[in-house]
Amino acid sequence: MHPVAWIVWSAAAGIVAMTTSNPFYLVVLIAAAAVVHSSHRRPGPSSRSFRIFLLGGLGAIVLRTALVVFGTVDAENAAAAALEGSRLAALLVVFGTFNSVADPFGVLRLAPRRLHEPALAAALALSIAPRTIAAVARVRQAQELRGIRIGRLRSLTALAVPVLETGMEEAMTLAESMDSRGHGRGRRSRYRPERWEVASGATAIVSGVCTVAFAAALLAGRGGLAPSTFPLRWPDVSPLLVVAAAGFALPGFLPAGRAA
Amino acid sequence: MSEAVLYRSVSFSYPGVRRRALDEVSLSVPEGAFALAVGPTGSGKTTLLRAANGLVPHFTGGTFSGRVVTGGRDTLDHAPRHLADVIAYVPQDPAASFVLDRVEDELAYGMENLGVAPAHMRRRVEEVLDLLAIEPLRDRSVRSLSGGERQRVTIAAALAAGPRILVLDEPTSQLDPQGAEDVLAALQRLVHDHGMTVLIAEHRLERVAGFVDLAIGCAAGRTTVGSPAEVLERIDSGPPVARLARMLGWSPAPLTVREARAIAGRSVIVPEAPVPAPDPFSPGAALLEADGLVAGYAEREILHGIQLRLFEGEVIVLMGRNGAGKTTLLRCLAGVHRPAAGTVRVRGRTPRPGVDIALCPQEPESVLYCETVAEEIAVTLRARGVDGRSEDELRRFGIEDLAARHPRDCSAGQRLLVATAAMVAGGPAVVLLDEPTRGLDPEAKAGLARFLRSVAEGGGAAIVATHDVELAAAIASRVVMLAAGEVIADGSPMQVLGDSRVFAPQMTRVFGAGWLTPEQVAAAAVPV
Repeated sequence: MHPVAWIVWSAAAGIVAMTTSNPFYLVVLIAAAAVVHSSHRRPGPSSRSFRIFLLGGLGAIVLRTALVVFGTVDAENAAAAALEGSRLAALLVVFGTFNSVADPFGVLRLAPRRLHEPALAAALALSIAPRTIAAVARVRQAQELRGIRIGRLRSLTALAVPVLETGMEEAMTLAESMDSRGHGRGRRSRYRPERWEVASGATAIVSGVCTVAFAAALLAGRGGLAPSTFPLRWPDVSPLLVVAAAGFALPGFLPAGRAA
Repeated sequence: MSEAVLYRSVSFSYPGVRRRALDEVSLSVPEGAFALAVGPTGSGKTTLLRAANGLVPHFTGGTFSGRVVTGGRDTLDHAPRHLADVIAYVPQDPAASFVLDRVEDELAYGMENLGVAPAHMRRRVEEVLDLLAIEPLRDRSVRSLSGGERQRVTIAAALAAGPRILVLDEPTSQLDPQGAEDVLAALQRLVHDHGMTVLIAEHRLERVAGFVDLAIGCAAGRTTVGSPAEVLERIDSGPPVARLARMLGWSPAPLTVREARAIAGRSVIVPEAPVPAPDPFSPGAALLEADGLVAGYAEREILHGIQLRLFEGEVIVLMGRNGAGKTTLLRCLAGVHRPAAGTVRVRGRTPRPGVDIALCPQEPESVLYCETVAEEIAVTLRARGVDGRSEDELRRFGIEDLAARHPRDCSAGQRLLVATAAMVAGGPAVVLLDEPTRGLDPEAKAGLARFLRSVAEGGGAAIVATHDVELAAAIASRVVMLAAGEVIADGSPMQVLGDSRVFAPQMTRVFGAGWLTPEQVAAAAVPV
């Protein structure tokens, strides 16, 4: 799958998540992202970070709902808060999926020269989550061999300090390696340019179409995109938009092709 | 231009550090030379190498004076990326320097940055795949590679970009003896047949001394340059043949097995085999018993039925090629990895990791988090509920004078010892060490040997997984060889190492099976 196809998919899914807080659409979107993750995830720590983002999404819902205590606490308010949290959760899951299926440095190679530095910063930032997660597992296990059980607050430094230090060192080593090998020095060539295969094209096109569907609904003010919880009742659901949300699962059924 | 890399009065100190890492270094590495930088950790070797491609000072900051001219370009005026077409730098830790996912893409990365034409890139990638014998790995994810495979891929990626100068920091540290020899031989071919200039830093001199034509001795930031024989004569440690030469007064010191045989042939008479020590080693009770161990991971089985006994007072050295299953075996023995079949018993019961048996994993520095070395040890002692003093634990390694230092202020070799000490402090009688010698300079290695002897003498026992043949010759009471998940040899060092072409220590290669260390030979040698 061409890396740009993943960018298009993620951006489109993200935009859709921004347009609506309707839980039906969001749940379908999240499920679609999970399908894509499970079939296209890359081996290694980045795919484990998907689970972390999923948990983060759940955490967002819970936290956002809990904030209701600062105002009037009733079912309507809580439901409204939960819907807001769901939107954030969907964004996190989409991001987690992108992190797990697309190699940030594979994407970086395609960046035009002008955008080279911000693209590099973005690639490094994207690689931090999986690297940190891998480091946490390693450090925790090593500390346990010493008899230090990482659980209580006091022993958190035994986890946090090495993980942060390792993270910094790894980021520095990576940056050094890239610079030593000429990154950003001038005109680049492409070893094996990723071809726009059918799968990539289909992903990009379908993502675009689904986004248009939601955008149109937003402009027309229809489809129950922003359900009100006052009074508390089931939101309107347009079957067309449910299908559009489900459309984001398409890449999950397409062959991976050469790993990008 | 006959100098590949020229250092002119280079002085450098890292930011915030008063002591100079490089002190008025002036030397030249001629084009086409195979140069070796040698010296203890903290002596400036790595800084010297990193100054060649501009990482020092562009990436480090600090105070820099003097000039380094690489391939005709001043490194102060050129950032590392603008030197990438003439010089490639291969760092110590390959894992953290991989940029892309697939091996093949990683190999091409440097060439892409240099704008090499695609057809040319394809050819070069194939060439380096063959040169480093990594063709079967081309589609693999870099994260799935073993340590040795990673090292080869990093070297291949550096070579693919086609620089004239190659700088490598401890390139064979993770390779088994055969793998190390293959890589060094490939580098030598590049120097001799293609006129490349190679500059490497290496601690295990027995591996490289025969290949290099120029040596740079580093000590406290200052350098001395000369032929390998000249430089190694001045430093305390050297390959075993050089140490033997010093003991027997041979001059000039031989650097290779071949040279040593030539000199030995006409200078000394050495008996066929050493007289057995008056007190033959007799092990005590069985501390660890492993039977029928079958273990692996989701994708494949690694150990296919291991049987092993460890007795009181033994130091077993576990050897085998990369990927043979050494780490998996240690983890099973420590009780960290659950075997699919078979049993492990320590003193008759299932081992509790950290309690009955201590495991120090590869690259243990990542556990350090305290302000002082003494505190690191104290933390482990507390966690294990053991009453003890940090100083005593450190003394076992010979590093008690580091007690008040911050771990990050120690040299790399010292830090490794501190981390190892932190992992095994106050621990149980059985100690398992996974590749503890990687990155250890000779002085730190001596500290490790000291610790292992103290374990054995204290009624405990240790298993050390390592590629370091000379360390095995020096401290092992038994050698176990692993291949493809099975034990293929288990006996005394004389039997196992003496019998092997690949794993034989230098003394064995010169004087025959039975001779393991220079001290042993020197004691028995009779001058002609």
